[in-house]
Amino acid sequence: MQATAMNFFVEPVTHDTAVIRIGKALDFRNAAEFKTTAQDQVHAGVRNFILDFTDTGILDSTGLGSVFSLYRQVSPLSGQVVFASVSRPVQVVVQLTRTYKVFRQFPTVDAARDAIR
Amino acid sequence: MEVTRQRFRKLDGIIDDLHDTFKSWESDGALSPQLDPDTIQLMKLAVHEWIANLVQHADFEGRDPDITLEVFPNDRSLRCVIHDNSTGFEPSRHLLRRMRELEPLPERGMGLLMLNAATEYFEYSRSKNGPHKLEFSVSSDLDPWLNIPF
Repeated sequence: MQATAMNFFVEPVTHDTAVIRIGKALDFRNAAEFKTTAQDQVHAGVRNFILDFTDTGILDSTGLGSVFSLYRQVSPLSGQVVFASVSRPVQVVVQLTRTYKVFRQFPTVDAARDAIR
Repeated sequence: MEVTRQRFRKLDGIIDDLHDTFKSWESDGALSPQLDPDTIQLMKLAVHEWIANLVQHADFEGRDPDITLEVFPNDRSLRCVIHDNSTGFEPSRHLLRRMRELEPLPERGMGLLMLNAATEYFEYSRSKNGPHKLEFSVSSDLDPWLNIPF
């Protein structure tokens, strides 16, 4: 596992798929770091992102916006962004914004890995 | 009906302090036991969005910030009041603009919309000398929805 910016850890799965562990928060304080982390991966050829929300207690509007930004970047490249192990605070935001229509959800990171391979 | 209150006097670290406060209230049973966890989560999200707005955009004109959060549990709803001593702003005007200008999969500009969608109502009062006040409620009887274009 490779540490990148504050709070975010990237675990390569294949040459074009990676897991980003979100950590305790994705909000206005670290959304820019998330974008940088994801963008570095896109430049390295990653197209499919599994966002691991296991430990995430905070997802706010700016954090969600940074995930939208990633989605806009990879979807024209036939990439995808999926959510794994979604915590209750994140699920409430997903439900409020109906973003389950855009981001597939998986109960675990392993299940997401298996589905994307 | 017991009021739960917390005062914040600095912006640095306020988000961590806020969420620590929520944890403490929940572990103390200070919030209504009739409320489902998702409604409490919506309240936390709405408060977070407002405090984030203050941290990023409010002008305190050099004064020490003085922000007070009060929560009034009431059966299946929670009423929240947030006072602050910033110069204030006009959320309804910003909200209308955000609604008009919302792009598909927006990166910014969803904070007030999220607050508006999560709550039964929200009102903001300005005063010349006193603190500004945001008041809103969240309810377990609603299924709120923010219509974001995809």
